[in-house]
Amino acid sequence: MRRILETGMVRPVASGEKILVMQNIKKEFFGVPVLKDVTLKLAAGEILGLVGENGAGKSTLMKILSGAYGCDSYEGEIMVNGVAQRFHSKTDSEHAGIEMIYQEISLHLDLTVAENIYLGCLPQKRRGWVDWKRLYAEADRALALVGLNLNSRSRVRSLSTSQQQLLSIAKALVRNPKILVLDEPTSALTESETRTLLGLLRGLRDRGIASIYISHKLDEVFAIVDRMTVMRDGNIVANYEQGKIDPEKVVEDMVGRKIENMYPKGQAQKGAEVLRVRNLTVPHPLAPQKNIVENVGFSLHQGEVLGLAGLVGAGRSELVNAIFGAIPTRGRAEIYVEGKLTKISRPLDAIQAGLGLVTEDRRKSGFVGTLKVDKNISLASLKRLSAHGFVKRRQERADVKKYADKLRIKLRGLEDSVLALSGGNQQKVVLAKWLMRDVKVLFLDEPTRGIDVGAKVEIYSLINDLAQKGVGIVMISSELPELISVCDRFLVLAKGHIQDEFDRGQASQERIMKAATGLAR
Amino acid sequence: MPEKTSPRWAWLRAQETGLAIPLVLLIIIIGLVNPLFFDPQNIIDVLRNTSFMFIVAAAMTFVLIAAGLDLSVGSVLAFGGIVGSMVIAAGAPIILGMIVGVLTGAAIGFINGFVVVKFGIPPLIVTLGMMYAGQGAVLVVTRGTPVYPLPAAFNAIGQGNFAGIPYVILIAAVIGIVAHIVLTRTTYGRMVFATGGNAETSRLSGINVNFVNLSVYILTGIASTFVGMLMASRLASAQPGAGAGWELQVIAAVIIGGTSMFGGSGSILGSLLGVLFMNVVSTGMIMMRISAYWQNLVVGVIIVVAVGIDQYRRRKMA
Repeated sequence: MRRILETGMVRPVASGEKILVMQNIKKEFFGVPVLKDVTLKLAAGEILGLVGENGAGKSTLMKILSGAYGCDSYEGEIMVNGVAQRFHSKTDSEHAGIEMIYQEISLHLDLTVAENIYLGCLPQKRRGWVDWKRLYAEADRALALVGLNLNSRSRVRSLSTSQQQLLSIAKALVRNPKILVLDEPTSALTESETRTLLGLLRGLRDRGIASIYISHKLDEVFAIVDRMTVMRDGNIVANYEQGKIDPEKVVEDMVGRKIENMYPKGQAQKGAEVLRVRNLTVPHPLAPQKNIVENVGFSLHQGEVLGLAGLVGAGRSELVNAIFGAIPTRGRAEIYVEGKLTKISRPLDAIQAGLGLVTEDRRKSGFVGTLKVDKNISLASLKRLSAHGFVKRRQERADVKKYADKLRIKLRGLEDSVLALSGGNQQKVVLAKWLMRDVKVLFLDEPTRGIDVGAKVEIYSLINDLAQKGVGIVMISSELPELISVCDRFLVLAKGHIQDEFDRGQASQERIMKAATGLAR
Repeated sequence: MPEKTSPRWAWLRAQETGLAIPLVLLIIIIGLVNPLFFDPQNIIDVLRNTSFMFIVAAAMTFVLIAAGLDLSVGSVLAFGGIVGSMVIAAGAPIILGMIVGVLTGAAIGFINGFVVVKFGIPPLIVTLGMMYAGQGAVLVVTRGTPVYPLPAAFNAIGQGNFAGIPYVILIAAVIGIVAHIVLTRTTYGRMVFATGGNAETSRLSGINVNFVNLSVYILTGIASTFVGMLMASRLASAQPGAGAGWELQVIAAVIIGGTSMFGGSGSILGSLLGVLFMNVVSTGMIMMRISAYWQNLVVGVIIVVAVGIDQYRRRKMA
């Protein structure tokens, strides 16, 4: 068992020593080049930011580095510490000191925190016998390193998403990597957790560990990296040194065109009240005695975009899911749709009342992976599209096509598999499903999570269009600049209650964070 | 990206083609070894055996697409056949006996589905329990002896022909066509695919997921007892041992036919080919004078190979 969490272990690093060189990497899928002669160099003790839209080739490049695409599936060479490497599998790349932390968390939910951290390298007493005492002690230190205050004997299933994300980082760190690859590591983290993580990465850098940091959250990337590389269409299109990074230029490099206005904001006419919620209480999903949302009430008008802010775990998702009838409520909540008291005990009731919900995890609860694009879009409109129990295929196709065109979903055909689409296009499929129903109220839970800049802008303008047509929108987002730019009014949720409420004019990241962290009162 | 296939060749990429080609090859080989395989009477025998199992397999296709599983079809088949036959043997009208038999199946299916939906017990366990309970019920009711005699008019259903084609084959053909249309053209079929593919997304899209999960077990219940009645009629007696071992054969055939064990995809045509394949293999081995002892061994290998090929194709296409 390697003793690896010793803080005193500072290795002198020769500056400029290239710990990783990926030379002239070329890869194709079915004859379509996805990486066209890419060369990437990483110095020891350096944090390299890697940005680009989805489909730019970042993930493919990293999968080559991780061994997920074996060394026979591409052209080019990988050198770690000056030694040419041929990775046949992920194990090979881990042996070379490369650890990956993915956006999708892959932990064993029914094992304990400690077991997850040391899976595959459990400390042993004698051969074959686990040294449990040492395991938990070491695990506790690993948790402290990432700022997680957890019992290392608890089951991973009971952890929140952000705790799981931090746990997978701890898991990578105990393997003593030379090179750490982080793919969207903060998409599930709160601001303060993100700060902890970024601080941690700086600490690792000082100990000579190199990191490749992939993220759509450019402000984070700008804050942490020493150097930055922009990819587009399988090429590296720009490199920046720290201090010479121009955010606007980077965005232009990523999309290959100038984005005039990242957040187009139209003027929508605020109409009549379309939704009013009173006395909504939601039991905590993991601790049924507790309430995650308590006695919350608010109202929403036509054409209004209401921002729901708060930290992860504040109950934002639970609030909208409960209104939608997707999770149980406690006590007597009153929900008025267009002034009419509406009983919503299951999603179907909400849908019939004119509500729609785009959930935060589109793969898990946004689309059906085994259905084609067209059938996903029409999923919530089957009743309207059928006669005597039969689906009216012609009308279905016509309607689906209308919305696919309207949302500019990039497709080869309506019968494409949803799974083959990029994140942005998948999200548009989910949105199209609700637009097809002419919803009066649309709940958007992290609608731009994990999608590229271009698609984000399209989704912002879609939100504007909907507002102008009189749809009331409730949007949840952990990206405060986005939330502040898109919404007309804000509610900040913390400890189960609305802590602060204000209009666009008074909104600032500081005010939101103060309320969300409980500093406002 | 794979190139666009022109519609003329689209069938080559269809799910079912993967099974149709080896099936045709197998039939040709068996026919070459023993030309008697192509004897009209033999063909009819193979198709008749296929028909019985196909009716159950068609219903099982719905269950598997909805990401369920039904292990009770074999014993429900026996139980339904016996209950219906006892009603008929007691002198009640044939149609009444048929209705009682089929309603028994619907009730058993309802219990299966209700327990799965309401108590969240995995279908594997619920229907395994029902499989044993059904076997027990058969023995309690019959004490192990067949139910007979049955009226000739009833036996004519399983034994009679129309223009040389057994009624059983015609009945199975009609059921197969209806099942295909329901699965591919109706909102119910669409809901089955959606629920099996992703139950949570379906629920949030307003689909009554509980109804879907309950209804598919009623389908297998009805199909099994109906086949139980047909077989009783064919044999002129309801046998306590009818349908023994069918649960796994039917599931194997449906999966060989390309229906996913994880739910969300599958087809009736595939299931037909799967059942046909199983029957051609067993008949073919007899006709090629291969010892019957080898049969299960060969079927076992085929199941694994067929599913392996299917997964490989999926991975390549994804």
